Amino acid sequence: MSHQLGRLVAQILQRYCGEIVEKVGNDLFMYGSKPIAMIVKSTGLPRTQVIESLRTLMKFDLAMFEATGPHVDYRLLPENVLLLIRYPRYLLQMKSKYGTEAELIIEELLQQATCSATLLLVTIANKYKDDKDKNLTIVTLKDTFISLATAAYIQQAPVAEIKEGSEIPNLVQVATIVPDLDTRALMQAMANPVDIKDNIYWKVNYDRFHQDFRDDIMIKAMTRRIDDTAGEVMRLLLQQMYLSSAAWAEESNAIPVTDLRESSRLTDKILLHHHLEHYLKVMEENGAGFIRRAGDAGGGQYCVQAKVAAKLLVEDVLDHVVTERLGSKAARIFRLIRAKKYVEEEDIQKNAMLPNKECKQLTYKLLEEHFISVQPMRKSQQVSGTQKGIYLYHVKLFEAVHVCREMCYASLHNLSRARRQLVSEHGRALDKQRRVRTIVHGMRMRSETEESINDVLETLTPPEVNLLAQVEKQLKQLSTAELELDRNLFILNWYLHYP
Amino acid sequence: MAGRGRGRGSNTSLTQEQMQALGIARGDNAPQILAPPPLFPKLETKPLPLNSDAATDYMVIVKDQFIEYLHESPAYVKANRETDGIERYSDKYKLLALDANKGRVLDCVWANFPPELRPQASRMRPSRKRKLDDSKDIEKRLQLLEKKETQENTNEMMATAGDDNKKQDDIDEDLEDEEEQEDEIDDGTDYANNYFDNGEDYEDEDDNLDDDPVY
Repeated sequence: MSHQLGRLVAQILQRYCGEIVEKVGNDLFMYGSKPIAMIVKSTGLPRTQVIESLRTLMKFDLAMFEATGPHVDYRLLPENVLLLIRYPRYLLQMKSKYGTEAELIIEELLQQATCSATLLLVTIANKYKDDKDKNLTIVTLKDTFISLATAAYIQQAPVAEIKEGSEIPNLVQVATIVPDLDTRALMQAMANPVDIKDNIYWKVNYDRFHQDFRDDIMIKAMTRRIDDTAGEVMRLLLQQMYLSSAAWAEESNAIPVTDLRESSRLTDKILLHHHLEHYLKVMEENGAGFIRRAGDAGGGQYCVQAKVAAKLLVEDVLDHVVTERLGSKAARIFRLIRAKKYVEEEDIQKNAMLPNKECKQLTYKLLEEHFISVQPMRKSQQVSGTQKGIYLYHVKLFEAVHVCREMCYASLHNLSRARRQLVSEHGRALDKQRRVRTIVHGMRMRSETEESINDVLETLTPPEVNLLAQVEKQLKQLSTAELELDRNLFILNWYLHYP
Repeated sequence: MAGRGRGRGSNTSLTQEQMQALGIARGDNAPQILAPPPLFPKLETKPLPLNSDAATDYMVIVKDQFIEYLHESPAYVKANRETDGIERYSDKYKLLALDANKGRVLDCVWANFPPELRPQASRMRPSRKRKLDDSKDIEKRLQLLEKKETQENTNEMMATAGDDNKKQDDIDEDLEDEEEQEDEIDDGTDYANNYFDNGEDYEDEDDNLDDDPVY
């Protein structure tokens, strides 16, 4: 709940839902929870608009309400607002892992926020009915939907429970039951989508996606550190982990090697099957502590240490950030302090192999940016004036991660701001381009002659085209940077997730 | 404060030795900087290039699509636009585009929402006590009207055909005035004021602030 987070949340809301929602959201962010009348009072917006904004926020799970007696207070969920940036990543994950149908389902569900299964499938099927190269049928869509529900990428939305004597619903989480959709009923619904009476609502389970991201990161780390086969072993280990322990456990329950061997037989990698034990040994000794040998029973047991992995990755992120911000020498000092835990200033100078003055300067700079902390130790017996206190430098990882996260928020805000500036500066040209594109698209649809299409295209002058190309490139760069920052944020949050 | 007690006369909190230990020698002091730091400091190193592959392109496109979708859906709350009073040719189209979006309500699962957010919320506001609900009031009112009617009749008799209409208006006005006065005398509190809400001013004023708790 920091200042930077507030700025970022406001900026995101502005970009996605407009200024009025931003105002309401920001008001809620600043004051915690509030009833409608108070929002109306403090924002000065008309009541209808506040209500509309709250509807938007509630629909996309960006806010929630709490009922105390007859009054309803609303509260913003900033962490969910941040997830809006991550939506494209969810879709990419779906597309690469499960194909186009899954992507379409998740896309539609993200857009609708909550939707009943029948309506969702029917909408998609109707939307792409004429699209020959997608070749969708309601049957494949249904199967994909069921497999997504089984894999818990989508879950049932909370159900409203109304107590007697009050009109305010009480949202209760329900366990997801994989639906049994009838193809014939779906076909019928496709013909006339108006009378769909499905009242089981679904929504995207972000947590499941985050587990996937985490697994991908861990597998990629192993692949880069050792080789592809080690990555494959990691994947098998994680697969086994899901069977026996909680998804976000700090350390998984012990996984017997025999189970791994069993599942490795299913993969077609002979190398993996033959050298499984070797790989496990190497990973244990040289895999940065991602796995740990837990026992020897049954041919050996291994644990996946997710918390250790998160810590290592976060340290890497921090190293990287320090390197990029203050240079490699500062990064060396940072690593040195972290390795030595508590270290005096003189020792830093001795060990960092840097000129005294530069070393000091960099240390203070690190301190100034809150990457490292200092712990003063005083010798109380000696009262002489010249006696210096001992200052021990150390890295408080938790705090450093927080600092880094704030930086991410700040730069995300800046990016968004820069983008807004850019768009408003070139608004006219961008508008013109959009209009020309729609006209040309319409002409193509009517299959008009190339000549007349070219005539329309030429209304954009060459300097304008150049400018637009430049603006587009910049916008793309900003978007890419946003996605990258979000990746960093994911790792940082993963670490902070463990108490 | 430490310096004062030892009587060294220096106004800094650090002694000379400490300064030296920090690497600051005599005369080494940097000149004081009086200007604020620049708003956009220069980057010391070039930032890393962003990798752009098919996946990133895809994500950028998908993101823009999602934002566009939101902007066109009713989720994007627009302000009631104020015009500057000058009619423009383009207004017609702008208004058309606005109207297309205006009537649409966000499609939500209303059962999961508190009643005040549901679309019919405006109609579900607590109904106020109407003046005429009381049978006594009705009786009073009827008597009043009867009295007026008799008055009216006598007036009409006196009036000539020519200024009949004018007279009628006058009488109507009188009648209204009287009615209003009557109303106000009714029971002396402001409950008697006309509270009837036809919903017209619902948009521009929040009139039920008094319903809400005071914090």
